[in-house]
Amino acid sequence: MNKRFSSLLAIGFLLFCSRTWAQLVVEITKGQAEAIPIAIVPFESPGAAAAPFDVAQLVGSDLARSGRFNTMDRKDMVEQPHTGAAISFDDWRRLNNDYIVVGQVQTVDPDHFNISFELYNVLTRQRMLGYQFTANKPGLRLASHQVADMVFQKILGIRGAFATRIAYISVLGAVPHRQYRLIVSDADGENPHVVMQSNEPLMSPAWSPDGQNLAYVSFEDRLPSVYVQNLPTGERRRVSAHAGVNQAPAWSPDGKKLALTLSTRDGNLDVYVMDLATQALTRITDDPGIDTEPQWSKDGQTIYFTSDRAGGPQIYRVGIHSGDKPQRLTFQGSYNARPRVSPDESQLAFVTQEDGGYRIATMDLHGHGEVQVLTKGHFDVSPSYAPNGAEIIYATRDRGRGVLALVSADGRVQERLVSSEGELQEPAWAPF
Amino acid sequence: MREFLREHSWAVAVSVLLHGLLVGGVILAAFIPAFRPPPNLQPLPIDAVVVDSQIVHAAQQRAAEAAASVQAAEQAKAAAADAKAAEEAKAADDAKAAEDAKAAEDAKAAQDTKAAEEAKAAAAAEDAAKSAAAAQKANLAQQAAAAERAEEAKAAAAKAADAKKAAEAKQAAEKQAAEAKQIADAQRAADERARQDREAELRKQLSDEERRNAVESGPLRDSYIAKLRNRIQNAWIKPPSASVGLDCLVEVTQVPGGEVTSARVTQCNGDAAARQSIENAVYRASPLPDPPDPALFERNFVFRFKPDE
Repeated sequence: MNKRFSSLLAIGFLLFCSRTWAQLVVEITKGQAEAIPIAIVPFESPGAAAAPFDVAQLVGSDLARSGRFNTMDRKDMVEQPHTGAAISFDDWRRLNNDYIVVGQVQTVDPDHFNISFELYNVLTRQRMLGYQFTANKPGLRLASHQVADMVFQKILGIRGAFATRIAYISVLGAVPHRQYRLIVSDADGENPHVVMQSNEPLMSPAWSPDGQNLAYVSFEDRLPSVYVQNLPTGERRRVSAHAGVNQAPAWSPDGKKLALTLSTRDGNLDVYVMDLATQALTRITDDPGIDTEPQWSKDGQTIYFTSDRAGGPQIYRVGIHSGDKPQRLTFQGSYNARPRVSPDESQLAFVTQEDGGYRIATMDLHGHGEVQVLTKGHFDVSPSYAPNGAEIIYATRDRGRGVLALVSADGRVQERLVSSEGELQEPAWAPF
Repeated sequence: MREFLREHSWAVAVSVLLHGLLVGGVILAAFIPAFRPPPNLQPLPIDAVVVDSQIVHAAQQRAAEAAASVQAAEQAKAAAADAKAAEEAKAADDAKAAEDAKAAEDAKAAQDTKAAEEAKAAAAAEDAAKSAAAAQKANLAQQAAAAERAEEAKAAAAKAADAKKAAEAKQAAEKQAAEAKQIADAQRAADERARQDREAELRKQLSDEERRNAVESGPLRDSYIAKLRNRIQNAWIKPPSASVGLDCLVEVTQVPGGEVTSARVTQCNGDAAARQSIENAVYRASPLPDPPDPALFERNFVFRFKPDE
């Protein structure tokens, strides 16, 4: 036998041996921060009385408003299935959808509706959700937001906050007939209810952790006082009316205390904690500068606040136990104020001054204190986190008028909220 | 076997050395945790490898067959040579008997040349034998007077006749041997061609393997991996939970043309949303890009999702 020939055989065998070690593994280290394409097919509405509004459209606009979903335009839908069995997955995939929601709204009686829906993964053809529930007419919007919440959570793994509420201040008319209203509405701005109305300024609404009470500042006594109002009963009581300033109430995580700003006789503002049961006060800061806008940490052991002790307003935090030394958190820029802690306390949202405008910024609390400016407006103020931490609602100005806007916590998406009449100010997002 | 080893000592030595390196590498890998592949990175059954192993196996088989046929040809050649040698011996004896060494040598020389020349040489030998016989006859005529030599002359004549007969027999035998040799030569040529063909085929397969091996560790493979990575990274919509610390493996099966037929997250420390997003990314990226060299195509491979931000 030829020597070269057998050499080739030997080499071939070695190659064969080495081949099995060449498993191809490709490492993926980056992804896109894109919106997920989803089709919300109009829900079938058999029966005489149609639903009072388009449920699928509400679900779609919730998802789109979050910035995390890109909902398919209905006019691009070549078919409108209402059940999973009727979905032609290849077609929906060809139209670049990752997910599809189909459903029905059936009229049980003129005041009750049956909503059923299913969520499918178009790429894997898997059924991911299927629910059916009954809602009365006033609850139909809430039920629709809950559908959006379920879809949101199933796909993104974080709880949706569409079926939640917001509180804000609306200012109507001009002096001397100016009217101030405290309004609670659905998170999408719809379904507004006036919970307090006054000819004197109303300010700084703050939700109790259980979502049953609002604390706010009212000038109804000509001087600022802090009130707590129970929403289901409408019952309200004044909890702080000290001489001078009473402002910026913030509930402790256990709902038993309020942090707030009070002034001494010489007008120096400091942060205090008040026990709601006894109204006993504990002084948290003691500095000749202005210390205000307190916010509690998740564990209730630390308070974040704004202080101008170093010149311009900057954000600090301090333990609630006496002797704790405040720690400055913001160093970037000459104006950083109104801190709000994200629900998981990974971030701080605040107002910063940049290029002469006020903008919403966030700071990473875990890492190296990285600051990201989220908005581009001229007067973006009063940030407040959604209870899932995914979005921040804030007040801004649109053509000279105060409106509410949303920005996703990563700054990717900004949305205006449909606004009712008046100057809208100081939004506060309710807990779940 | 020993003969084989002796004959192919170079190849065997290389093979043993490289195997030794491989085994050593495996043992080393087992002792150095950093070099140990994660459990899921264990080589998966790869269709391509199975196909390759069949090719190599078939090639080996064909090579063995080629070797066998070469051996058979060599045996046939040896048999023909033996026959020829016998004939040669006989012819040499005959030529000796004819007492013409030159003719015999001519005949012997003719045996190594082509059949026609051999036939010619044989004819020459016959002529030589004839002239030898004639000379003998003349001799015998001169000694005819001697009665006692008559029998000797008769015997010589008989011997000459034997020589002539032997020459004729030799011619026939040589013709037969030449024919046999011709057939054997043709067979050997055909076998040689077949062997060369097979060797060329195996060489090509091996060069495919070599090329594959070369591209797998070379810039083409890097370029393929980069293309795959880009495609997947563009298709992956990261859910909020997918950040630094996530580490997930997804086993992917594609068919030629790049269409993904299956994507299955195997090992993953992420939540359901992360797993879903990873499978979706692979399906969204389908069809996957073609490899820059077809030799790089893998039916099964693994994506490792490990975000660095």
